[in-house]
Amino acid sequence: MSYPPQPPQSPYGQQPYGQQPPYPPQGPPSGYSQHQYEQSHQATQAGMHVPPPPYQASPAGQFGAPVFQPPGGDAPQVWDAGTLPADDNVNPYCFSVDLNGAYYLQKGKMIAYYGEMRFSGIGRGVLDRVLEQNFNSPLHASDWVVAEGRGKLLLADRSYDLNSYDLEDGNLTVRSGNLLAFEPTLRLKQSIIPGFLTLIGTGKFVAASNGPVHFVEPPIRVDPQALVGWADCPAPCHHYDHSYLHGVIGGLRHLTGIGGASGEEHQFEFIGAGQVLMQSSETLMADRSVGVVAAEAGVPGAGVPHQQHGGAPGLGNLGNLGDLGRRFGL
Amino acid sequence: MAQFRLQGSRVLAVDLAGDTVKARNGSMVAYTGQMGFKKLSGGGDGLRGMVTRRLTGERMEVMEVKGQGTCYFADKATEINLVRLNGETLFVESDNLLCTEATLRTGTSFTGLNGMASGNGLFTTKVEGQGWAAVTSNGPAVILRVAQGLPLRVDPGAYVAHTGNLHRALKSGAGWSTLIGEGGGEAMQVEFTGEGLVYVQPSERMTLGGEV
Amino acid sequence: MAFTRINNKMISAQIVPGQRILSQRGSMLGYTGEVTFQPNLMGGQGGVMSMIGRRVANEDTPLMTVEGHGTVMFGHGGHHVHVIDLVGDTLYVEADRLLAFEGSLQQSTMFMGQQGGLMGVVRGQVTGQGLFTTKLTGKGAVAVLAHGGVIELPIFPGQPVHVDPQAYVAHRGEVTNKLSSALGWRDMVGRGSGEAFQLELSGQGAVYVQASEVKL
Repeated sequence: MSYPPQPPQSPYGQQPYGQQPPYPPQGPPSGYSQHQYEQSHQATQAGMHVPPPPYQASPAGQFGAPVFQPPGGDAPQVWDAGTLPADDNVNPYCFSVDLNGAYYLQKGKMIAYYGEMRFSGIGRGVLDRVLEQNFNSPLHASDWVVAEGRGKLLLADRSYDLNSYDLEDGNLTVRSGNLLAFEPTLRLKQSIIPGFLTLIGTGKFVAASNGPVHFVEPPIRVDPQALVGWADCPAPCHHYDHSYLHGVIGGLRHLTGIGGASGEEHQFEFIGAGQVLMQSSETLMADRSVGVVAAEAGVPGAGVPHQQHGGAPGLGNLGNLGDLGRRFGL
Repeated sequence: MAQFRLQGSRVLAVDLAGDTVKARNGSMVAYTGQMGFKKLSGGGDGLRGMVTRRLTGERMEVMEVKGQGTCYFADKATEINLVRLNGETLFVESDNLLCTEATLRTGTSFTGLNGMASGNGLFTTKVEGQGWAAVTSNGPAVILRVAQGLPLRVDPGAYVAHTGNLHRALKSGAGWSTLIGEGGGEAMQVEFTGEGLVYVQPSERMTLGGEV
Repeated sequence: MAFTRINNKMISAQIVPGQRILSQRGSMLGYTGEVTFQPNLMGGQGGVMSMIGRRVANEDTPLMTVEGHGTVMFGHGGHHVHVIDLVGDTLYVEADRLLAFEGSLQQSTMFMGQQGGLMGVVRGQVTGQGLFTTKLTGKGAVAVLAHGGVIELPIFPGQPVHVDPQAYVAHRGEVTNKLSSALGWRDMVGRGSGEAFQLELSGQGAVYVQASEVKL
């Protein structure tokens, strides 16, 4: 389960299919843990100013095939059905699912697989029963597929960083566009915060982030676009900061837009105990529609499909009032 | 002999001593010493390559770089994989071929319906000979072995390259529900059988078929 | 050291009273403590000329001042962040690529044409990178953005480095730059290799180049 996994023992004598470790594999026992592969991958990800590795002649590949030469001159890792990790990262951007049964994935995130499996849309025929069990959300079920069968399934999403999370009788809320796949033992519900989904129960799910996920503890205020999700702590509240709009200069700013807004007038504020997940992003992954909440008094956002708002509502356009700021080069 | 090395994982450095490499047009980011850049018409494959390119609309524009010093290449922050060929053949999506030594021959190879599904033209690039080639992938490439009795299915959009004695076939991974409009999202897959290595990237390029 | 690397796309900065940090507007990812974010009225310290200059160059990367007491995380667009420490020397950086820098640094906007003459003007027009580059001098740390990370190439006297203008991020030291054309006019019109214009940097110093021809 550790990253990087050990290189295959026998280059050619891989185990025949079907002799893999039983499913489910032994996951980490902690109630909520992120797989720690970062230490090892930081070394290769570390800034590009590292001195070039000494030039090395490449060894010929097994069975005479050419091999890809990674930086550093190490022998490249070749995977097959037996050596691919079971429910763990292959590299920071690729996750290997040891499928034995069913798994839910976002459409189009499978990049390769070994074994026998089929992919079906959710919400049709026999799958309705499954849907009832796992999708307690008005989610657009057509964005999801269920993979059924046996084998190793590789997931990736536009070379974003992937992390798997183990929930043990817990809950974690994640931005809908970042959720890639989850085990059927988890239940999916729509968060009261528009654009977010909450996973409840025990099981594993895979989420993507732009850059590695950074964990912080409350109290903290987070730019809405940098928020991936949160676990255990209470749902965030909005925080507005525009003190510089007071006074004479502030009033002028407000009227003309000259000087502009700092772009940081609006944050999500987290308090209490828990974990907040952050990414480096101002350009969001396209959010998956999470469907429409039935129009009902007292339900936030009821009746309108929740797509992500692009920044600070109300205040977002302040700095561009009449586009004066830009035109005057301020 | 041109010396290929990696500067970090996304920049290729090539040391030249008066010799020549072929590289994707516009991929030079910096150089020291004296370098000359010359566009090769038709991808440097002679008349036949030129005609097939025209027919298929595949545009792999190649430039010839010749000089003394070090030339640095990069392509849209993609990871670079160095491949040493000793007489074998490398099949690579033409979008993913960054740079080859002048000693290598490049040509086109018919890839069946794979090309149609991935929106990359019907031909992929075939690289043969002795020397270094640099292949890009969006995110570090994952190398998967295919052996007898161990077929592999790959999303066409994630396919980067393959080597060895492999047979490719386009398969439908869709269940019955696809037929009535509720697609499985993984409708088209390429099945590899035989013996060899397949390189996939942790990303899917935009495809003609939408969410293939 | 004002900036701490969280990962290759995020940095954090300790803000203490009396020491301010300037950053690109909208690049704050999160913060703890009591911190204010104040947009800079003049968009730099260059006064009216700077304003006009920025308008001519169509550069629109306004800054904000970060003050208070706490920890602030910065990042932008999922681009790689590279921290450069200045020890009394000078860094020239494209304004779009400037993520954050310490307030202890002297900031000014430089007219590239001063060095390149007419060609400098042409360079700005051709590359779309603007005529003005932010110049930072003094002691302190600068965080720059790059698509795919940067490599640092040293520049020695008599050994100039040529850089694709689209991949150029920043340079430091006693370096003169000029736009050079490695090709004849025929190559530049219609059938070029894509490398028609190159930025030639000569002198003593270093240039930072990103792993991509995509301008931010």
